[in-house]
Amino acid sequence: MVDDEEHILRAVGRALDARGYQVATAVDGEGALRSFHSVEPDLIVLDLNLPGMDGLEVCRRVRARSNVPILVLSAREDEVDKVAALDLGADDYLTKPFGIDELLARVRALLRRSSGQSMAGRFEADGVRIDLERREVTRNGDRVHLTRTEWALLDAFAEHPGKLLTQRWLLDRVWGSGYDEDVDVLRVFVSQLRKKIEPDPRRPRIVVTDPGVGYRWALRPAAPA
Amino acid sequence: MPTRDERSGKLRLTVAHALRRRAVGYSIAIAGTAALTAILLPFRPDITPLSKGFGYLILVVLAAWVGGLGPGITASFAGFVTFNFFFLPPYDTFAIGRAEFVVILFVFLGASILISTLLARAVDRAEAAERREAELRALFELTTEQVAQVPGPAAREAALRRVVDLFGFDAGALFVQDARDYVGLHEDVVVGAAAGEIPASWDPRDAGRPPERVPLTVGGRAIGLIVLRGTGPPMSPEDSRVLRTFSDELALVLERDRLLRSATEAELYRRSDDMRRSLLAAVSHDLRTPLATIVTTVTDLLADDSPHDPAYVRDALAGIRSESARLEALITNLLDMSRIEGGLLKAHFELVDLWEVLTAAADRLRRQFPGVRVDIEVAPGAEGVRADPVFLERVVSNLLENAAKSCFAAGGSELAVRVTTEEGTAVVRVVDHGRGVPAAMREQLFHPFYRLEGRGPNLGTGLGLAISKGFLDLMAGDIWVEETPGGGATFAFTLPVDARVRA
Repeated sequence: MVDDEEHILRAVGRALDARGYQVATAVDGEGALRSFHSVEPDLIVLDLNLPGMDGLEVCRRVRARSNVPILVLSAREDEVDKVAALDLGADDYLTKPFGIDELLARVRALLRRSSGQSMAGRFEADGVRIDLERREVTRNGDRVHLTRTEWALLDAFAEHPGKLLTQRWLLDRVWGSGYDEDVDVLRVFVSQLRKKIEPDPRRPRIVVTDPGVGYRWALRPAAPA
Repeated sequence: MPTRDERSGKLRLTVAHALRRRAVGYSIAIAGTAALTAILLPFRPDITPLSKGFGYLILVVLAAWVGGLGPGITASFAGFVTFNFFFLPPYDTFAIGRAEFVVILFVFLGASILISTLLARAVDRAEAAERREAELRALFELTTEQVAQVPGPAAREAALRRVVDLFGFDAGALFVQDARDYVGLHEDVVVGAAAGEIPASWDPRDAGRPPERVPLTVGGRAIGLIVLRGTGPPMSPEDSRVLRTFSDELALVLERDRLLRSATEAELYRRSDDMRRSLLAAVSHDLRTPLATIVTTVTDLLADDSPHDPAYVRDALAGIRSESARLEALITNLLDMSRIEGGLLKAHFELVDLWEVLTAAADRLRRQFPGVRVDIEVAPGAEGVRADPVFLERVVSNLLENAAKSCFAAGGSELAVRVTTEEGTAVVRVVDHGRGVPAAMREQLFHPFYRLEGRGPNLGTGLGLAISKGFLDLMAGDIWVEETPGGGATFAFTLPVDARVRA
C-alpha cells in the first residue's frame, strides 16, 4: 500500500490487516519500489499523487518487471493520471474517498484473477454461453454469429475478466496502432457486441462501461465443465 | 528655475507684449512729434531747417523700432506735415518757399519711410524669433512633463492644466473615446470648472466666444477631444500650431496609457485565473484527503466482516477524530483566508503583553509536540505591543507549530523566540534549526496554498503563513523569513510597540 498520507495508510492498512492480508506500506515512490523488491507483494495499492517519484513512474517501473496486479488510488483532480496509469498497465482504480468494502471487493477480484482462476475460456449468464476455445456463442441455445473484429474484441475482454481496459488499450489491441484515438469506432463495435451477447443490451452486465476510461468484462468464468 | 506663475501664460505675454509695443510706437509717433515740435518751436529762427528734419527722423527711427511699420510710417507723415508746417519757411503754412525745401521735404519723407520699413522688418523678424522660442519652450515643457509623468489621470490632469495656463484659458476639459464601446466620448479630466460643466459639443447659437476644440487623433483615428474655454482674444496662429502639436503628443500618450492598461488587465486576469485554478485544486485535495480517511474508516467499522474488538474500534475512532480535527482546522483556515481576502476582518487593538502570548503558545506547543523545547527571550521595552490579541495568538501559534515541525523533521527539538525593539517596533523572531527555506522561495512562502516541494505531506494546509501575513497586514505588521545562522529558518514579524509603553 503506497500513499503519502499517513492517516489513510493507517486506515486501509488496519482494515486489510484485520481481514488477514499482510500489508507493507510506503509513503513515496522510492520507498514503494524498495518495498516491491524486498516484499514481492501479490498486489499493489498505489496512490498516484506522491511526492518525488510519482505514481505513474512507479507503475511503469513495476510493470517493466512484473505482472503483479496494481490498484490505483486517485483523487478527482488527477483523472488524466488515472487513465495514463491504466494505459501503463495498472489493473483498476478507485477514486478517493472510497468505502473500505469497495476496496476489499477490488482487491479480492484482482487477487482471484492473478491467481489463475480466470484461465478457463467459458462463460455463462442468463442463457448466454460463451466458449472461447470452441469459438462458439449461443443464446438460448441458438448460435450467434460474430464477425472477426467482434471475436477479437471478445477475446481481449475475456482474457482479462474484471480488469478495467482503457479505450486506448482496446483500440491498440483489436485494431492495431494508429487507431488509438478512434474512440467512436470502439463504441460502435462494443454496442454491436452487446446486442449479440448481452441478455439485455440496454442494461449491459457483461461488458460494463467506465465512463471516459474504458470497459470492464464483468462476468466470472464458468466452472470447468 | 522659473516659478509656475512666471512660466504660465508666457505665450500670451509675447502676443500682448507685441500689442503694447505697437501702442507705444504710435504714441511715440504722435505725442513725440508734438513734443519735439513744442521743444523746437522757440528755437525756430536759430536752427537750420535741415537739423530740425534730423530731429524728426530720430523720432521715426524710434517709433519704427519700438512699434514696427505702422508707427514708423505714422511718424514719417507726422514729421513730414509738422516739419513742413512749422519749420519750412514760410512758417505756419503748408506753402513752401523754395524749391530746395521741396526736395528736402520729400527726401525726408522717402528716407523716413525706407528706414521705417527696414527697421520694422528687422523688429518683426526678432519678434517672430522670440515667439518661436517661446513656442518651442512651451512645447518642450509640455512634452517633457508628459513623458516624465507616471501614466494615469493625474498626469492627464497636469497636462490639461498646463495647456489651460499656457494658452491663457480659464478652464478646459479632456474627453476620451469610451474604451468599452468605442463610440461615445466621455469626460476624463476637467480643470478650472466643475465636472460636466464643459460640454464636449458646442452649439453655435450659444452666446460668448466659442470654445477652442482640439481633436486628439492617433493614426487618423479619433481618440479624444480637448475643449478649452476662456474670455481672452482668439488664439494666434502660432498658439494654435503649438496646441495642435502638443495635442498630437498627448494623443500618443493617451494611446500608450490605454494599451498599457489593457495589457496589464489581461495579465492580471490571466494570473488570477491561474491562481483560482490552482487554489481550487489545492482546496479540493486538502479537503478530500482527511475525508478519504474518515470515509474509509467509517465504512470499515460498519462492514460485516470488521473485527469488533474494542482496541480495533478505538484505534479506528482515534483516526477519525484526528482527521476530523484536521478538516476542522482547514475549514477554519479557509474561512479566515477568505475573510482576510474579502476585507471582512477588522483588528481590535489592545495593549498586548508579548511575553504572556509567547509563553502561553509555547505551553500549548509542548502539549502538542511532547519533547519540544522553546527558549523565549524578550528585550526590555518590547513587551507591550499594539495588536489584536486573537490575531496575534494565531500568528504566534502558527509560526511555533511550523518551527516545531521543521525542527522534528530535521531531528532536532530546540526552538528559540527572540524579541527585540527597533525604532518603536517590536521584532519577534522564531528561530528553528530545520532544513531552512531556499532563498528563491522566501517570497512565495506567504502565498496561499504554497508548500515547499518534497517536504512530506504533513506540513499543514499551506494556508498558515498566508493567514499570518494577512493578520499582520491588518495589524500594521510585517512578516518575512531569514536564514538562521548555522542553518534553519527564522520567521520574523513586527508589531508597533504601544505608545503608552514607549513613553
